Parts: sequence; C-alpha cells; structure tokens
Amino acid sequence: MRRHLLLLVPAILACGGGDGGSAPTRNTIIDSRDTYDPRSMDPALSTDVPTGRAVAYLFDGLTRFTPDARVVPGLAKSWDISPDGLTYTFHLRNGVKFHDGRPFSAKNVIATFQRVLDPATKGGRTLPLHPIRGAEDYAAGKATTIAGLSSPNDSTVVITLKEPLAIFPKFLAMPVASIVPENPGSDFGQKPIGTGPWKFVEWRHDDYIKFAKNAEYFDGAPKSDSLMARIIPERSTATAEFESGNVDVLNVNEQESRNWEADPEKQKLLQSASALRFWYVAMNVTRGPLKDVRVRQAINHAVDVPVMLRQVMGGRGSLASGVIPPTLGGADTTRRGYAYDVAKAKQLLAQAGYPNGIDLELWSANTDASPRIAQTIQANLAQAGIRVKLVARDASSMREASRKGETDLALKEWWADYPDAENFLYPLLDSRNKGVGGNVSFWANPQFDRLIDDAHREQDEAKRNSLYTQADLIAFNDAPMLFLFFYKDLYAVQPWIKGFTVPAVFSGQRWTDVTIQK
Amino acid sequence: MFAFIVRRLALSIPTLFGVLVVVFLLLYVAPGDPVQEMVGERADAETIARLRKELKLDEPLIKQFTHYTSGVLRGDFGNSYITQRPIIQDIRERFPKTLILAGSAMLLASVLGITIGVLSARNPGGWFDRLGLGLAYLGISFPVYWVGLILILVFAVMLRWLPPSGYGGIEYLILPAFALGSRSIAFLARVTRSAMLDVLNSDYVRTARAKGLVERVVVVRHALRNALIPIITVLGLDFGYYLTGSILTETIFSWPGIGRYVVNAITRRDLPAIQGSVLFLSVVFVMVNLITDLAYAKADPRVAYS
Repeated sequence: MRRHLLLLVPAILACGGGDGGSAPTRNTIIDSRDTYDPRSMDPALSTDVPTGRAVAYLFDGLTRFTPDARVVPGLAKSWDISPDGLTYTFHLRNGVKFHDGRPFSAKNVIATFQRVLDPATKGGRTLPLHPIRGAEDYAAGKATTIAGLSSPNDSTVVITLKEPLAIFPKFLAMPVASIVPENPGSDFGQKPIGTGPWKFVEWRHDDYIKFAKNAEYFDGAPKSDSLMARIIPERSTATAEFESGNVDVLNVNEQESRNWEADPEKQKLLQSASALRFWYVAMNVTRGPLKDVRVRQAINHAVDVPVMLRQVMGGRGSLASGVIPPTLGGADTTRRGYAYDVAKAKQLLAQAGYPNGIDLELWSANTDASPRIAQTIQANLAQAGIRVKLVARDASSMREASRKGETDLALKEWWADYPDAENFLYPLLDSRNKGVGGNVSFWANPQFDRLIDDAHREQDEAKRNSLYTQADLIAFNDAPMLFLFFYKDLYAVQPWIKGFTVPAVFSGQRWTDVTIQK
Repeated sequence: MFAFIVRRLALSIPTLFGVLVVVFLLLYVAPGDPVQEMVGERADAETIARLRKELKLDEPLIKQFTHYTSGVLRGDFGNSYITQRPIIQDIRERFPKTLILAGSAMLLASVLGITIGVLSARNPGGWFDRLGLGLAYLGISFPVYWVGLILILVFAVMLRWLPPSGYGGIEYLILPAFALGSRSIAFLARVTRSAMLDVLNSDYVRTARAKGLVERVVVVRHALRNALIPIITVLGLDFGYYLTGSILTETIFSWPGIGRYVVNAITRRDLPAIQGSVLFLSVVFVMVNLITDLAYAKADPRVAYS
C-alpha cells in the first residue's frame, strides 16, 4: 500500500522539481547515503553500514581500501610475509598522532585487537581477527593475551596466523580492525578519537554527523574543510534534498533510475559502478525436492532474470553466473548463466520425478526491492509448475529462520566486507559456514572446500584466482542457489563536486580528494 | 480534584505493569534476536553464545524480567544492546523533538480546525461550509506520507520556500507539523461544525441573540464554550497518538524524534530500547488522558471529579 503511492511521488519529483542550480555557498560536503543512525562511532561496534562509513573517516587500520577496492598501506607502511605464509610483520608509520595529540604506536594495535575480541566489548564482529593464532582462545577467556600477536618494538607488529591466509591484509582494512587510542572511555562511541583524515565534531542522533579535516593527516589532509553525513531514512526525501542542492551525493532509487537516465540534464550527474553486492536465492539443499540437483537447475532455468533486472531493478545490475562479481579476480566473465527456458525446467523436474510440479516456500525480507523480486520469482516459477508460497518477514526474523535451516528458498542480498572472491565463495558456500556462517543453502562439497583451502594458502594472486574460478564453477553446476545478479550502484553527484568516485566497498570513499568547486 | 488525580495515577500503575509484562513476553516469543542483529550476516556459533551470555540473554525469562523491572523501579531503563547508550538518555534526546512536532501539529490543527468548523457552522450549506467539507474529506483520506511528500515537492523543491527535511529552526517545523496535523485539522473542523450546529440551535443561544448580544460574543462565548467537550476529546486522543506514533512523519521529514527511535529499535531487536520507550510512551499516554479528563472539568463546570 505504502509503496504504491510512493511510486507516484518519484515520478512527479523527476519531471517537476528544480534543477540543482549553481554551486552552494557552503563549504561543507554533505552526504545523504545513510538511511539510519549509526550504531556507534566505535570501530569495535562497526557492524552496520553507516557505522562502517563513519569509522573509515575517523580511523585507520593497518591497511585500507581505495574507492576502486584495492588494498593499500594504512598505518602500516609495509609488511613482510614469511615463506610459509603464516607470519606477517607489519612495519608501522612513525610520527602518526591521534586527534588528541597522543602518538600512535604498536601497543595500540595490540590493545585494539584485544578490545575487539573481548566479549565485554559486546561488539559482535570479531570474525576478521579470528585468523590470528590464539584470537579465539582470547575471546573465549582461555588466554590473557593473543598468542599470535606481538610487538618487538614500537613500530613493528608481528601477527602469526593459525593457518595461511593470503588475503589477510584485506581483513585488516575492515572498519572493525581500525586502531583506537589507549583506554578509550565508556563514551568513546559518542566521542571518537582516531588517526583518520577527519576529526569528529558533532553527532546529532538520527539527524547528522559532522567531521572536520585533520590537517595533520599522515597521508595528506582532506582537500575540503568539513564533511557532514546526513541521516535521511526516506529515499524520496533524499532525492528532494538533492534536487534542492542541499546534499552533494545521492544514492539513486532503483525505481527512479530510468527517469534520471532519460533526462539529458540529470544524466550528466550520474556515476555508476559495480557494487560488491550479490542478489541470490539460497536453496536449502537438505530440504525435500531441493536435495535433487536437477530441481535446483530447473529453478535456475525457470526464472527470467534479465527481465526481472530490467523491470524491477531499473537495469541496475549485471547477470550472475556464479557468485563472483565480474569486477573481482577469479570471475569467469565468459561463462553464460542458466538460460531462461521453461520447457527445459519442466523436463528437468520430470526427470527428477516431479512431473506434476513441486510446492516450495520462498522467504524474503519485506523491505526495499525484496518483495517485488520475490513476487517475480513466484510468477516465473509457476510457469514451470513450481508452486511457491511467499513468506515476507522483517529482515531479522527471516535471517534467523534461514540460519536455522527452516526455509526452502530464501531471497538474500550479500554485501561484501572486503573486495575478494573469497568473501563470496567462503561464507556463502563453504560447508564450514553452514547456518550462522552465511551458508544458508546448507550446501557441502568437499572438492569445493578443498579448493577454498588451497586458495587461502596460495600467495600468488593469479593462481589464487584460478582456484576461485574452479570453485565457482563447481557451485554454478551444482546450483545450491538461484543466481540472480550483481547490483550496480547509481549515484547522482552535484556538478560542483570534484574528485568523487563511487566506492566499490561501502567504506571505500573517504572524501579526502573531494572538493566543492565554486 | 487532588484526590481524583492521585487515584487516577494510582490506577495507572497496574496498567503500566501490564504494558511491561506484555511487551516483555511479546519480544520473547517474537522471532529474531538482538545478538543475530549485532553479529550481522556472517558469524560463528561461539561468538553468538558469548554475546548472549554477556547480555544475560541466556538466563531464565523470569530472572531477566525481575532484573529489568527492578531496574525500572530504580529509574534505570538500562543500556541499549546495540548502541550501548543509556535508554533514558536516548529518550531524553528525542522525546522533546517529538513533543515540539506534536505540539505544533496540534496547535495548527486546533486553530485551523476550530476556525473552519465554527465558520462552517455559522452558515451551514453555504459555500464556505461546502468547501470546508470537501477539504476535510481530502484531509482525512490522504495518508500522511503522501501529504508529506507532496508538501516537500511543492514547498521545498519547486517553490524553495522551506527546507525539505531535517531538524532546526521554525522553517524546518512548518511542513512536518502541517503534514502531521492535516488529519486533525479536517477531523476537528467536522467535529466542531456538528457540535456548534447542535449548540447554535439551542434555546439559550436564541435567548442570547434575543437579548441583543453581538454575534461574535454569541458564537465564541456562548456557543463554542458549550461545544468544547467533543473537541477536547478529539484533541486529547490525537495528541496522545501524535506523541507516540508520528513515525511516518518523522521518517519522511528526517525528524529525529522518538517514533523513528522505536522503529529502529524494533528492526534491530534492541530489547531494552523497545521496552524502555514503550513504557515511557505508555506513561505519556496515561498523562495525556488524565489531562484531557481535567480539561473536561475546566471546560464544563457540570463535570466534577471527586
């Protein structure tokens, strides 16, 4: 009901409305992407997108992401890897200071990681540090220090892993691994102090967060003086703010993308980039007819994904033939996905012993595009004789049900935490991640798992990517999911904004090169 | 009067306790869990177990309940599981903003609604009455989010008179207050009109007119005063509703009030935040009802409380 009426408004906004007009008199860059209040500004609590973004402005990790998803040195200026791939020696930058003037040193790294892992911190996101030897024992209270973490001197940190993990530097670029000063107080989440390019100024809950440039930032101070992240829950409102020139960057609504692209004036403002976000339907391979690979392939053949992408998502994505986004190493861009072929789907079902079709439940969240995608899938599958009952729940209930293995089909969207094919393959499909780990297909394939293990050990990027490609092909053929599409971000950027690029990872844009040109 | 207030406050205690029990039980049986929300899409069973223990979610329900209730009795609503901020502080930050919005909406609604109602009643069937009736139907039928977005489109994007959204000076307040109050304006206009029509046809109004009072005095002092009871009822109900439920308006206008806070708490299954704010809002509702009842007595001397 609500959505139906709302659809009218973007249409009016798109054809009426004012143009962005001339450059504003303000000097503050204003972002409009956050739709809800961050959980905290404390890196240890960065489990949601708005928090992760703010933490990336205020803090640094040993490494960091660039907008185009490369991993570059952060607080560590370089690192060495032992031949067995187990020990990482990080050489830290000298002379870096926290915003309050205290110097940064190796002991901050150790204290930070301990704090993240300590259950009393009540963060929740400890996984990125689990590869460190002894990290889980420390979290469980079985050890008073993290065995694999030491600092021989103030500017060196040595990390020993429990098993080789070639992509470990990417883990350290995640917001949760950002380094905090000694003894952060109990209100650290409200008054954060980091080493990052922006200093914290003010946080009005559910309203905005203000940042000021850190003129002494070690990697070059931001080119603008101040930055504001506004929190705007309704996307139509964000559009109005953009049209009024009050915000500089807008995440364009899927339903509005066509209008933006059709208008020659507005089209000039658009920037798009492949996001590391994957839409798929997890099929629980332990339930009923879904145990049969032919049924799962039939489902893949029965859904017309290109039409769905065009009609429901405004063309915002690229078709998935596997789980690796086309922009990441390991993606086989020559592989064709399952073709839309209802006759073939029926034939596969009949071969599997279901000539009269099957009944399944499709769970989806009741927000954003999910209900419409679920309805499209339901209509498509009905053509092939697969009768689907839709179950739309709030995201939390749905996640719980799929983790417990109570869903046949679950429509999911996966946001990558770090730019690597492993972040799609391992959590979503490895047998060790069944349930809460992210594999809600409950799929298990020893050959796949072995390839992932090999990839974890492989230091050579090209060889690693080839292992990813092989693993992805196994998953593609065995179809433990309905492969839908990789999302494409579409941003509108005001003409006076210079130096902005759409980040591939949500925390990858730190606004340091962005200016308002008058 | 004093005894009445004390008795009503005493009676509200079991009501509030009932609210506490129901909310607690509902959240316990509802699917979803704050820990799953905290760990995100990817987690491991050990971390989840440790967090549940840390948050004391693994304890028996009755123990959790007594622990929470004793905290509430000491005035401690606890800390949010998700943000770790004290709930009281969160409410203190947001409720005044909701109060400003609700208050302005009600002020707008009473001034406009009662005026339109009175003017309509003075000449029933006239052009103003029919125009008022038409607008009232629109006001009641249009959902608030639609009105809100149209207001933003016209007054912020096209005319550029007011900012589209946000919290700040009076210019930020006008559009949301109008959007929120639009239903009440319409409703009050209708209620005032019918109450006024009843009164204007009564004998004492005819007497007042017969003794030569000017029309303004007849309408305002003699008629309106006697039509106030149903108006107060509507105002009281709507005000309570606005204080607790202006979620849509707050969302559309990015107004940082308590409605959005509650919705966020629910999506994240932030149990202490949900319990604390529901309890707080129940107290507000009880208070508004009490004030409404007291206003009856003030408006109509025949209503006496003892």
